[in-house]
Amino acid sequence: MGKATYKVKGGKMIKVNLTLNEGRIEEIKIMGDFFLHPEETIEDIERTLRGCILNEERISSLIRDALSRKGAVLLGASPEDLARCIMMAGEENG
Amino acid sequence: MAEEWRLLDTGLNDAFYNMALDEAIATARSRRLVPNTIRLYRWMPSAVSIGYFQSMEEEVDIEACDEMGIDYVRRRTGGGAVYHDTDGELTYSIVVDEDHRLVSEDFLETYRKLCSGLVLGLRLLGIPAEFKPINDIVVHGKKISGNAQTRRMHVILQHGTILRRVDPELMFRVLKVPSEKIRDKMIRAVKERVTSIRDALGRDVSFEELKEAIIKGFEESLKIKLIRGDITEFEEELAQRLKDEVYSRKEWNFKR
Repeated sequence: MGKATYKVKGGKMIKVNLTLNEGRIEEIKIMGDFFLHPEETIEDIERTLRGCILNEERISSLIRDALSRKGAVLLGASPEDLARCIMMAGEENG
Repeated sequence: MAEEWRLLDTGLNDAFYNMALDEAIATARSRRLVPNTIRLYRWMPSAVSIGYFQSMEEEVDIEACDEMGIDYVRRRTGGGAVYHDTDGELTYSIVVDEDHRLVSEDFLETYRKLCSGLVLGLRLLGIPAEFKPINDIVVHGKKISGNAQTRRMHVILQHGTILRRVDPELMFRVLKVPSEKIRDKMIRAVKERVTSIRDALGRDVSFEELKEAIIKGFEESLKIKLIRGDITEFEEELAQRLKDEVYSRKEWNFKR
């Protein structure tokens, strides 16, 4: 399993645990002390990322899409910050 | 005449009931069963709460908590892990309609508005408190209060802490540190970044004095009149149910 911790500059802490299967995200958990409204959107983001290839831009755009579908607001971190941490965890896993 | 809100002082309760009651009040408000409400409360036993997105195992030293009789609970709100000491902290919650004049679509603005009651309350005690985005209140740059908000069913629930006393060594006995090697470093960092009413004033302020100041701060700053009230039967029953079925359960507390 790949694990990474990423502190957003002037923002919050992000932690990601993930497992890869043939270069794709199999399981992922995004954790941290950021805010996301509505909170359950985190499960949508994780669902949408399963099966995704480990590509930072692709991951950012999937997160942005999941947020806008729900009209969700992320505070203390950006989709790009989450993507960065996911990449770090993926690279550690690989 | 100032707008009237309900004031609840629910005293000492365990972590699971405390989180359940905040949710029950929000639900009751969403059904128009109770007025907008400010609640003051404390934690007995002392407890750790973690943010909705955090992992219990990663943030909390479960074994140490069990040994010391400290509860641990996941909050409905985001944000970080907090150690709630029975004697070191006063906690508040605000439940208010989403379309209230104090609430805007912008989260930061709403934090700023709702926190202004605490800022004024602390200033009334002689502490030069200031709001610091996103969700903190600081004194000379050091955090004295952390706050977290959630919006559901067209109601805002914001809860947060006011530190009377802080014990960084104890904090890091219950919160996990990445490695033993940096435990001392983290304790020093907390000493540099966190303060309390005792540190700021050089004296202890009793819970009664603190509550009085905070109540006045909320009344003046939010332009409301707080009327002491009681929990309704609906809230009490729902809180008990939420405690039993959600907040005291492993499925909830260890779900991330």
